[in-house]
Amino acid sequence: MPDKHNRRLALGCEGSANKLGVGVIAHDPVTGAATVLSNIRDTFVSPPGTGFLPKDTARHHRACFVRVALAALAAAGVTPKEIDCICFTKGPGMGAPLTSVAIAARTLSLLWGGKPLVGVNHCVGHIEMGRAVTGAENPVVLYVSGGNTQVIAYAEQRYRIFGETLDIAVGNCLDRFARTLRISNDPAPGYNIEQLAKKGGGILLDLPYAVKGMDCSFSGILAKADEWAAQMFGTTGRKAGEGGEKFGPEDLCFSLQETVFAMLVEITERAMAHVGSSQVLIVGGVGSNERLQEMMGLMARDRGGSVYATDERFCIDNGIMIAHAGLLAYETGFRTPLEESTCTQRFRTDEVFVKWRN
Amino acid sequence: MAEQEFPCALTVNVPFPTARLASIALQALGVDKELSPLVRRTLSAVAPADTQENNILRVKYVATTNRMLRVAVNGFMESLNLVLEVMEKLDEDVLTAGRKQNGG
Repeated sequence: MPDKHNRRLALGCEGSANKLGVGVIAHDPVTGAATVLSNIRDTFVSPPGTGFLPKDTARHHRACFVRVALAALAAAGVTPKEIDCICFTKGPGMGAPLTSVAIAARTLSLLWGGKPLVGVNHCVGHIEMGRAVTGAENPVVLYVSGGNTQVIAYAEQRYRIFGETLDIAVGNCLDRFARTLRISNDPAPGYNIEQLAKKGGGILLDLPYAVKGMDCSFSGILAKADEWAAQMFGTTGRKAGEGGEKFGPEDLCFSLQETVFAMLVEITERAMAHVGSSQVLIVGGVGSNERLQEMMGLMARDRGGSVYATDERFCIDNGIMIAHAGLLAYETGFRTPLEESTCTQRFRTDEVFVKWRN
Repeated sequence: MAEQEFPCALTVNVPFPTARLASIALQALGVDKELSPLVRRTLSAVAPADTQENNILRVKYVATTNRMLRVAVNGFMESLNLVLEVMEKLDEDVLTAGRKQNGG
């Protein structure tokens, strides 16, 4: 049932990694314009030196779901009757956290009189929300997060993957290096690396540069950065700074960021040249890094284009992007029957049929 | 299924206030299959002896070892707990009552 303004409303539930998000979005049935009514998030932050494990993350999502959902409904000021569909992240992501949120989404759907469910691809959620927030119509998309690293362009009803990581995601590389340095994971390990990197800049430590055509690799860079860190901490038996100047965590963070972001800019530029686009849209948690946005901006300007990025509300995993992408699919008639409302850890971006675009 | 292969069994009966809520729990929890081939589960909604209303959620677990049984039942209980909490706080009548209380 449309709300009092005759808009279509969707509730979105996200929990594929360590963020639990619930949001409500409204679409104008005439213009298609999206309005964010609420976007509530609660992040599971693990202690310094550790990552978030599936079991603990799922426990966090289960414990927080009701509180976050109530807050999202209250902030939006809507009742269940006004909501057209309930969207949840089908994948990709961590199995146990995904399933916890799917169980809650199913329960809401059934409690609220059998509201249609819409299972959403997490990556497509990022892309659609990025497009809606920035107004970028047909950009090359760089999707960079703790679990994914892809260069994507739209063609004929699919988001096609032009390049991707061959091993770990760029965000995973940064997160794990934050663990090596034992810096805080609050609010996010990548954010704290970015702040340290701002204090560096004097020394660029040698790290491998691993672009393979349209793809890239980060695990070797992480191994080398870990080696530099071990040298700095004096645990390898060698003296810190041997054969060069003394360096600190800020130099390591600076060097790591410059290297991996240069790689991302290179593969993005190649995709732009390939599809003849001058717009770049950066989505995913790493997309909130201002240095990455700056480097991408320099490249895009050289090509006579521009970079579109969003802030942490939309870059970092959230419920509203699931609501938005789900509602777009819902409006084309897409439904996820209850018996098919399972989750999947592997769900590639190009598996989704994008019926809502030309 | 051969009883020798799955010797460890546990049946849990969860009473719900209404058959509607028991049915919702059954549907919400029944979608995800047991991940381990060493565990089998059957879910049903049944009526107490003296009534016609199927307000009891009955889950029967069988497993190859007690360890597998414990892991599976613990996982089920965690999910069930989430379903119960969502029912308690987010059912439509509860939300309406909450709004009235807050003068909305």
